[in-house]
Amino acid sequence: MKTTLLTLLFVTAPLFAHDMWMEPASFFAESGQLLSIRLKVGQNLLGDPLPRSAGLINEFIVEDGSGRRPIIGREGSDPAGYLRISNPGLQVIGYYSKPSSVDLPAEKFNEYLKEEGLDAIAALRARRKEMGNEVKELFSRCAKSLVSSGSPGTTADRILGFPLELVAERNPYAMTAGESLPVQLLHEKRPLVGALVIAVNRMNPALKQSARTDKNGRVKLKLGSGGMWMIKAVHMTPAQGADYQSLWASLTFELRDAAAVSKK
Amino acid sequence: MIVVLLALLQAHEIGTSRVSAQFHADRTYVVEIVTDATALVEKLEAGSGRPPLSVSEPDRLLQMLRAAEEQFRKKVTVRFDTTNVRPNLEYKVVAAINAVSAPAATIRLTGQIPDGAQQFAWSYGWTYATYALTIHKAGDPETVWLEGDQRSKPLALASITTVTTTNRMATIGRYLVLGFTHIVPLGLDHMLFVLGIYLLSNRARSVLLQVSAFTIAHSITLGLSMYGIVSASPRVVEPMIAISIAYVAIENLFLKDLKPWRIALVFAFGLLHGLGFAGALQEVGMPRAEFLTALLTFNIGVEAGQLAVIGAAFLLFGWQYSERSWYRQRIVVPASVAIAVCAVYWTIERIA
Repeated sequence: MKTTLLTLLFVTAPLFAHDMWMEPASFFAESGQLLSIRLKVGQNLLGDPLPRSAGLINEFIVEDGSGRRPIIGREGSDPAGYLRISNPGLQVIGYYSKPSSVDLPAEKFNEYLKEEGLDAIAALRARRKEMGNEVKELFSRCAKSLVSSGSPGTTADRILGFPLELVAERNPYAMTAGESLPVQLLHEKRPLVGALVIAVNRMNPALKQSARTDKNGRVKLKLGSGGMWMIKAVHMTPAQGADYQSLWASLTFELRDAAAVSKK
Repeated sequence: MIVVLLALLQAHEIGTSRVSAQFHADRTYVVEIVTDATALVEKLEAGSGRPPLSVSEPDRLLQMLRAAEEQFRKKVTVRFDTTNVRPNLEYKVVAAINAVSAPAATIRLTGQIPDGAQQFAWSYGWTYATYALTIHKAGDPETVWLEGDQRSKPLALASITTVTTTNRMATIGRYLVLGFTHIVPLGLDHMLFVLGIYLLSNRARSVLLQVSAFTIAHSITLGLSMYGIVSASPRVVEPMIAISIAYVAIENLFLKDLKPWRIALVFAFGLLHGLGFAGALQEVGMPRAEFLTALLTFNIGVEAGQLAVIGAAFLLFGWQYSERSWYRQRIVVPASVAIAVCAVYWTIERIA
C-alpha cells in the first residue's frame, strides 16, 4: 500500500495536449526548389520536431494550381517531408494525423478545456457531474501551412477536406502586418459556430489574438506584426472508445512587415 | 495484447529526443539526453524572456546552452527517493548531418547517488513530444516512454544498478575465451603461422624471440585499429596473412637457424595479423564501458591460444624428437611443405 501511494505521488501527468503545426524550411520558395517540411509539437510556436511516422499519417499532401500530390519523405526522419515546388502560386500543405491517445487527470483536463475555450465540453462534464473524473482523450491533428511561390496574386487558400480545417479567406502573402485576416473554421466541411480561434506570433507568443467564430464559422484576426504566425482551433466531442476525441487545426504562414514591402 | 500495446505506442507523437540512464555500483549515475539542439536553445531563450532565435551553428549553440544552464536545470529533475539532486552538466553539440537536418545536443548529467537511496525518478520538461527513457542495466535495457514534463515512475535502484565488477569479470571471461578460440580451434591460419615459427629451429631462443616479436607487433596493430587510428580492408589483410604463412613455411625449408631478418619479418607479419585480429574483434563488438579491458583480455586470449599451439607441438614431437638427426627431414620439412601448400591455397582463395 505504501509503495502504491508513493508511486501515485511520483507520477505527474503531462500538462495538456500541445499544439502541432508545420514549419517549412522557408515560407517563400522558388519554382523548382526542394523544400523540407518539419512537423512540430509544442507551445507558443516553440516545439520539438516530429519525425515522419507512417503509423500517424492519414494524409500528408500539398495542393497547388495543378492539383494534389503527396509530400514525400523517409520514415523516421526529421524533416518529415519534402516538396518540390512545381507551380507558382500558393502551396497549401496539409497534414492530417491518425488519432493519438492521452490520459489526463481531471484538473489538468479542466484547465486545458478553459485554455482552448472548449466551454461546451466543460458544461457537459459539469452536467454529467464528471468534473472530477480522469479523462482518456483521442486527438488528431489537422495542420495546414501556406507557402508562397512567385507573386502572391489572388490565389487563395484551398479547402483540403480535413475534419477540422482553418481556411484563410485572404492570401496572407498579399497582406502586410497590421491588417486583419479573415478565417473560416470548418468541421466536416461545414462552418463551426462559436469556436475559439487563436493567432500566435512566433516573435511574441504571449500576445495572442483570439476570437469566437460567428454563425458562418468566421473570425477576423488582426495580425499586428510580421513574421511567422500560427492560427489554431480545437474542437472536441464525446467519443466511443475514449471519453472525448479532439481535432486540432493549425494554419501556419509568414506575414511580411509593411516596412519590408514598401522597401521593395 | 502485444498488438494493442504496439498500436498504442505507435499512436504517440514520438519526437527526436532520447534519454538514457546508467547507475553504477560505485554509486555514480550518468543520464544522457540527446535532443535537437536548435529546438532546445529556442525554448531556453524564450524561457528567459528573449525572442526565439533559430541558431544552427554548433559552437554558438554550445555557448548558448552553457549560458542557459540554470534555466535548463529548472525543468530537469534527477530524483533519488524524495530528494532532487543537482547533477554536473556537460554539453556536446554535433553539427547537422546535412543541410536540412538539425544539429544534435548531447547533455550528460552525472553525479553521486545519495547514500541509502532506493529509488530513482526522472522528469525532463524541455520536450513537448513523447520520448524514450532507456535504463541500461545487466541484461536487456529497459525502455520507458514518457511525455515531456511527465515524471517517470520511481525505479528501484537495486534492480537497475549495473554492478561494474561483475560486468568487468564477465567481460574478462568473455574476451579471454573469444581471443583463445579465435586461434584454437577457429583460426587454423594463425595456428599454422605459429607452428611455422616453431618449426624453424629447436632452440628455445628462436621460438622465444619470434613469438615475442610477433606478439608485440600484433598487439600494436590490434590496439591501434580498435581505437580507430589505423584501418585496413580485410580484402587486403586476409590474403597478406595467407602470404605471410606461406613465406614463413617456405623459409623453413631453406633456413636452419634464426637470422635477424627473420625476426624483423615475423614482426612485420605480426602487424598484419593484428589487423586481422582487429577485424575479428570488430565483428564481435566491444563493450563501450569496458573497452580497454576487453581489448587487453582478447589479446591475452590470443596469446594463450598461440602458446597452446606451441605447447602442443612441443609435447607431440618437439620434446622427444627435436634432437634426433631425422627431425628436420621427417618433421620440419614435410610439415613446412604442408603449411606452405595450405597457405598458398588460402592466398589464391582470398584474392579470388
